[in-house]
Parts: sequence; structure tokens; C-alpha cells
Amino acid sequence: MRALLAVAVLALGATACAPADAGQSVEVPGQPGRSKSAAAERATRRAYDGAPPVVPHAPFGAACTSCHTAQGIEVEGLGFAPPSPHAETAGLGLTARCQQCHVLRSTDALFVESGFAGLRQDLRRGRRLNPLAPPVIPHPGFMRENCSACHDGPAAREEIRTPHPERTRCGQCHVEQVTSDVFSR
Amino acid sequence: MTQSDRRGFLSVLGAAGAGVVAFSCGDKREAERIVQGQLASSLSPADLTWGKAPCRYCGTGCGVEVGVRDGRVMAVRGDEQSPVNKGLLCVKGYHLPAMLYGKDRLTHPLRRRPDGTLERITWDEALDLVAERFQSTLTEHGPEAVAMYGSGQWTVFDGYAALKWVKGGMRSNNLDPNARLCMASAVMGFMTQFQSDEPMGCYEDLEAGDDFVLWGNNMAEMHPVLFSRMLETKRRRPDVRIVDLCTRRTPTSDYADLVVMFRPGSDLAIANGILHLLVRDGAIDEGFLTENCVFKRGVEDLDAIGYGCFGDQAERYGFKDEARDSSLDELKAFVAEYTPERVAELSGVAPAQLAALARIYGERNRGTVSLWCMGVNQHTRGTWMNNLITDLHLVTGKISRPGANPFSLTGQPSACGTAREVGTLSNRLPADMVVTNDEHRAKAEQIWGLEAGTINAKPGYHAVDMFRALARGDVKAMWIQTTNPWVSLPNLRRFERKPGDGRFVVVSEIYPTPTTDVADLILPSAAWVEREGVFGNTERRTQQWNKLVDAPGEAREDAWQIVEVARRMGMGHLFPWEGDDWHEAMFEEYRSFGLGTGKDLASYKELQATRGMLWPVVKGRETRYRYAAGHDPYVTKKAGVHFYKAKGYGERAAVWLRPWQPPAEVPDEEYPLWLTTGRVLEHWHTGSMTRRVPQLHQAVPEAYVELNRADATELGLKAGDRARVLSRRGQVELSVRIDDRGQPPRGTVFVPFFDEDRLVNELTLDALDSISKEPDYKKCAVRVERAGDAP
Repeated sequence: MRALLAVAVLALGATACAPADAGQSVEVPGQPGRSKSAAAERATRRAYDGAPPVVPHAPFGAACTSCHTAQGIEVEGLGFAPPSPHAETAGLGLTARCQQCHVLRSTDALFVESGFAGLRQDLRRGRRLNPLAPPVIPHPGFMRENCSACHDGPAAREEIRTPHPERTRCGQCHVEQVTSDVFSR
Repeated sequence: MTQSDRRGFLSVLGAAGAGVVAFSCGDKREAERIVQGQLASSLSPADLTWGKAPCRYCGTGCGVEVGVRDGRVMAVRGDEQSPVNKGLLCVKGYHLPAMLYGKDRLTHPLRRRPDGTLERITWDEALDLVAERFQSTLTEHGPEAVAMYGSGQWTVFDGYAALKWVKGGMRSNNLDPNARLCMASAVMGFMTQFQSDEPMGCYEDLEAGDDFVLWGNNMAEMHPVLFSRMLETKRRRPDVRIVDLCTRRTPTSDYADLVVMFRPGSDLAIANGILHLLVRDGAIDEGFLTENCVFKRGVEDLDAIGYGCFGDQAERYGFKDEARDSSLDELKAFVAEYTPERVAELSGVAPAQLAALARIYGERNRGTVSLWCMGVNQHTRGTWMNNLITDLHLVTGKISRPGANPFSLTGQPSACGTAREVGTLSNRLPADMVVTNDEHRAKAEQIWGLEAGTINAKPGYHAVDMFRALARGDVKAMWIQTTNPWVSLPNLRRFERKPGDGRFVVVSEIYPTPTTDVADLILPSAAWVEREGVFGNTERRTQQWNKLVDAPGEAREDAWQIVEVARRMGMGHLFPWEGDDWHEAMFEEYRSFGLGTGKDLASYKELQATRGMLWPVVKGRETRYRYAAGHDPYVTKKAGVHFYKAKGYGERAAVWLRPWQPPAEVPDEEYPLWLTTGRVLEHWHTGSMTRRVPQLHQAVPEAYVELNRADATELGLKAGDRARVLSRRGQVELSVRIDDRGQPPRGTVFVPFFDEDRLVNELTLDALDSISKEPDYKKCAVRVERAGDAP
């Protein structure tokens, strides 16, 4: 397995990485000077897969959408402000109140220890019928209508970045998997 | 690693490789972690079993889907099938599952030893102890010495079991819920005007309305999902207007077209001022009034009414309003003195703003929805204020049709379904009935199979008087379930208690709280989806859920606890069902109270199959708009409205003439600032659940005091400094916030009440609404002192 990994790394032509703690920001590939949070760090901001992430920065007072624009922008000294995946959800448009779901984090202390173990926030493979078939969407589509927020642009994790950002109607080929059942009469 | 995982990894790499960029180091480490088995072992949403439930927290009643695996809740998601929230939630709802898993869940019955420590006992011992103490108190001191203090978070089962046990079994009416602290004024508003409780409209008003007037209601934080529905309406129809009437600028104000800031307590003057302008400008719908309304006037003598907290009234407040007939002409004369100039003097609201409000209510071709919650209800004249808001809709005929309704919002998930509909209040029975009415008692006795005359005709203590009686020693045995009065009662120091004072206090809870701290016996309760339940939300929607996971340890549902105690007291005939699986049978018995009366609930089977239904439900059809022809099956008219429940008013609604009167305590030289209290988005009520959710606690870990910048500067305080807030009743030290999420005007400070370590209710006054006996948490006088620098 290690050999396989080594092959994979070599295949990508990357140099070896030093070990680092979660929480470190990473450079946006191909865009020197641009940085974003490591994926592992981002995953810690959610209580479980599907929970809204907490806001990882101090309150700025300005409207959230002045940085979290449709494409997102680089904020000097902070990193990349990602776009919102749900700009088109009814009730969550540009005039919505983001704080309804995304709250700040003002302390690391707890009132009482929690024993909650949530569904892990993780990458899941969208299954393909064959190596050339488009993968199905392995997560709910609701509130994630803006596919490019996560699958394109500097905020996208490399593993799920679309190789064809010029095609804008994603649902033409990628469908949401809503059940593991198969059809039977 | 399996073969397929390996292939998967390669295909993932392949996708990235085909893209324009290579892996960064951080992402590559992620990919390695995934390949090293974590992807293979991690579950996807499809691996969970999903069940439906309403949210545990507020009265909105959002539908959530609950994801369960191996007996534990691992995720929730907004229920897209729920007509309430259509898939959205707020931050509390998204973090619901963590509410169940605080490390200090109560899992076994605990009895307090004489030395104050707690010992674990068995359920049998605990239930025997409760039965024995209540029985001996009844025998020695009679039914006025026992009491049960319940909750708007009770399921219908809990409330119905409590009602039967207290009123049908112990023949006491000392049963009152914490809902007395939050929506009793709305109940009395609807009862005095329609002789039937609860709103006529539904949440579809939020799409159908043109103008939304929020009376003292920070909807953005308290009912976020309803607020987002309203914002979506405005996004689609930019001519929609939102008016925020407030005593402090809140996040709601940021989204309003018109912000009308007024002096605490002057809302009565503003509403009368709007009536004045509607009369002056001929905007009254006299045809509607003639056909559908009567006019009433009550006692207005301030000395006779009082505030429920001074002199003799501080021990027992029993003021009764007396109605007399009035008329449209008298109304016109009554509001004549509320000129824009006089209203401006009383309220600080500019005449131009008052005129804008009057135009909104007066415009015939636009639908107006008034929304309110605690600002209006927690008010020494809260019933009056409820009356006046509804008056604005009656005099303009803007009622009982889509997009034009007075709509009272509730704070607890089943304040409507349990407290109001089951009638777990000291004077009520199910389906709008009261213990003071002979026919109503007879009907309850007949359904319950009790001898005539069993139910006591004398109303019991309302919530605050119940705790006053406990403090005096008149109440000797009290059972408290699903609520935290030693944080939420006003003027808390009045109610300080030490176990071992000769009284017996039992508390059913899921976590340790300041209330369990003073209990003689603690019973561990099952929470939310750890048991089967029914809640009724703000829009008359009854929602059912099944048990989805086991409760921890020996925790059991509240209704079971009551049934078991009743059986031990020889009152098993009240709960004639075998074993523990009585939910459907109990619900169907309860449902028989309302059938045919306009309070018809859906059947249990219908509730199991749907995302809730709006009562009255007749022949399987719900009612979106009560009293409206074409909507309500009880209205036989072809068009218009019919207030068929108001038999005492000739089946018409009552317009009440209600004056402005000053609050109970106003700022003076010694205590120069107004204190108003309330909630924040992240925490629900006393925080016993939400503070155990890491994301919510970490967002707002402690209570604070919001100050106006000018006041802060004068006091030498800056943001983050420590301040001492003092009233005639107590003091609390808090950190200072300036120009934060809420911005009080000069002369007002705000403190949220969720924090058991910083109890703002040690400062509040136990002044009560004259009719509903609901406390006023929004207005008392304080002084602020500098206590130190920011830590």
C-alpha cells in the first residue's frame, strides 16, 4: 500500500511534504501568495457532516457577502474567503442572514464535556458505473446548488476539483444519490 | 485497503491529475489519510437510519430528519418535506443531536441526603417516595398544598398525564406551566377577543403578506427560520415592507424598512395612536365592524389593578377584569386623546413614523401581518397590548385571510400543543375549557369516567404565585418537570430555597441545573427522540414523532413518571391502559375533548403519516385560516369571516378599548437605566441544553451587558470591561458589549438570561400582567457601575 502511495505521489510530480498539524493554511496551487485552510482544519469546523461550519475568524462587522462573493476573494492576511454553496436556496439568498446558521467561535472552553460523535465530515467517492462514466453526487444537493463553490476555484479541495469548470450545468451528467437501494419489483 | 478502495483512490487522483493544478501538501496529507482507511471506515448519510421529528427548541416547530446509527443520533438535517421550514434550520437546530450527549446527563434517580449530598436510588424507591409525599400532603393539608409546575416543552402526553393526575386525581388546580412566563398574555388576548385560543393564520402568511409589523420582536434571533421565510418573500417581491418596532436595535432591525424605536411600555400608546389616525383618516372598515364585531371595555383604574408585585399583591395576585359593553362611537372618543403629539411625548416616536404605521395598517389593498412574541407578552399590560394589536386588524378588517392576520409567535415547542391546548394552566381544561365552568368540568369528568363534582372549581395558583406559596410554605409538595425555574423566574432571590426546609420538591430533568440543585429528589428524564411524542407549534400544527434511540441509563419519559406515581396513589383508573405502550390510546382520549368544537385535532394515525396537520382537522383536511369562509369547515358562510367560537359575544369578535398605563418600575435618580432581558440566537431559554453543545457554547459562552456607547463613555466603560448591574433586588457582574449584535438606545441596557452563572433574573421585578399574570421581564430600573478592566 505504501508503495502504491509513493507511486501516486510520484505520478503527480510533487515533492515530499513535511508533516504538519491540522490548522495550518495551505498555499493555493498554481497561485503563489494565495492561501486557504487545510481540508482537515475545515472539517473540524463542523459538528458532523451536514452541520453548518462555524465562522473561523473574528467578526468584521461588514456584511458576510462583501468577502464571500459569488466567486470568493482573497483577503490579505487571512486567506481565501470561499464563496457560498447555497446562494440560490430559497430563504438563503444574498439578502439572508448568514448568522442564522453560521456562528462565531469566541472561546475553546466547554461548559460541559460532550459525548456527541457525529457523522464524520469526509470526502466520499461518487460511484461511477465505469471508469469513463460521470460519478454520481454522494451528498445531498439541497443548499449546495452552487457546485462551483466547492468543486472549482481556489477553495476547492484538489480531490474534488472539476476538470471541466467550463461546463456549467453539472446536473446534466451528475445526479444525486439519495438511496443505496436498488430497484426491484 | 480493498481493491475497490485502491481503484477509487486512483480515480480520485486521476481526476485531480487531469485538472490544471497539482496537490498541495495539506491536501495531499488529506488524501493520504483517506487512502489509509478512513474513507473506507467512515459512514455516509445513506448509512444512517432517518426518522422525522420536530425540533426540540422553539415554537416554530421546524421539521428535522434525525440520522441514527447504533442507537445514537449522529446527524440531523432540515426536513425538506416539512411545510414549516422546507429544509432549512437555524444553528440550534443543526446542532440538536449534541444536546443529548452532554457528559453529565442524569441517568438514575437521585435522593438528597440530610447532609445535602445525593444518593442513587431505584425507580421503585423514587416513585414510592413521590407518591407517599404527595399523598400525605394531600391528607394533612388538602389539595392547595400540592402543586405541579410543568412546561411548554412537555409533550402532549406529559401534559395530559399531569392534567389528569392533578385535576382528575388529586382534585387540585395547582398545575401551571412555565408557559405562564411566556405566552399567557397571548392566550388571554385571543380568549378575550375570540373566546378561543391561538392564531387564525398560519406560516403561509409569511409569503402572502405585503407588510410585516414586528411588535417588540427580535425575530432574526428568536424565530430565525420564520424570519428567513419572510426575507425570502421580500427578496421575491421588493415592495414588501418590514417594520421593526423595538426598544433596542437588534439584528432584526438590520433587515427592516422602517425601525421605530420607542420607550419601554409605550407600545400601548403607539397602538392607540395608530387607532386615532385610522379613525381620523376614515381608514376604519365600518362595514366589517358592524357585521363581525362587538366592543368591550374593562377595568381601567390603575389603583385597583396594580402590578402584582407591591403590597398585598406581592404574595397573591388575583385581580379580575370585568367587561362591559362599549361601542364604535366610544372607541372613537377613547382614542381621541392619543394624538400624534401625545404619543410622541409618551413614546419618543416621531409623528411622521406614527403616520407611516397608520398608513400601513390602513391601506386596504395590502395585506398586513402583525408578529409579536415576548416584548408584548411579558408586559404588565400584556393582555391589553395583545388586544390592541388584534384591534388594529379588526378595525381594518385585515383578519382571517391569507397575508392579513395578527400572528402571535411562541417560544416553546409545545406551548400551544400542550400548555394551551391540553390546558395545563391553573384555570384550564382541554380544548379552551375552564375549571370555573360547570359544563366544562362535567364534560371532563364524563370523558375521564369520574364522579360528578370530582374536579375542583376553584382555580389554582398561577406560576409566580405558586412559587410565592412554596416560599411561604403554603405549597408543601411540588413536582417540577422539563423546566428550570431557579433560572427563569423573575426576582429570583425571593424564591431561594435550601432542601430540608420541610417542603418536598421533585425535579424531572435531563441535566443538572440550578433547579436540580435545590431538589429533594431528582428524576432522570428521557429527552426528545429518546421517547415518543407530540408537540403543537405556533401555527396550530400538531406534530408526532416516534422514539428513535434509547435514553441513557434509566432515564424515562415524564408522562411515564406521572402515570407510575398516579398508579401508586390509587389513581390507576385515570390511566387504564396496560403496560407502557399507551401513547396512541392516550392521545385519542385527549382528542375526544376537541372533536366537533372547532378544536379538532388530527388522529394519531394521520399525525404519524404526515409532517403535522393544522387544526381544526375535519374529515382529514387541515385548516390554514380559521374563521374564514372557504377555509374553515365550521364556517358555513359563502364569503367573509365568522367568529363562531365567540358564543358569549353573539359569534362576533371583541374590539377592546385599552388605555396606556405606565410600567411598574421606571428609572429614577438612584436606578437611572432601563433593564430589558431576553434571548440570543445561540442559546435556548435557560441554556441547560444549548450550553452543552460545544459550537453554541463556544459562540456565546456567557451572558453580557449591552450598553449604549454614550452611557458606557459616561460610566468610564469600554467593550470587554467588567460592569456591575444593580437593581433594588440584586446585582450581577458582566462583561460589557458596545455596538455589538444588539444596540440599546441611551438609557437602556440589555442582558440575556441563559447563563446560570450570571443570573439576570436576580435583578428583574416580579411585576405581572393584570389579566394573564405573566411576569414582565422587559422593564425594570437598574444602575451600572464599573467593576474592572477587561480580563
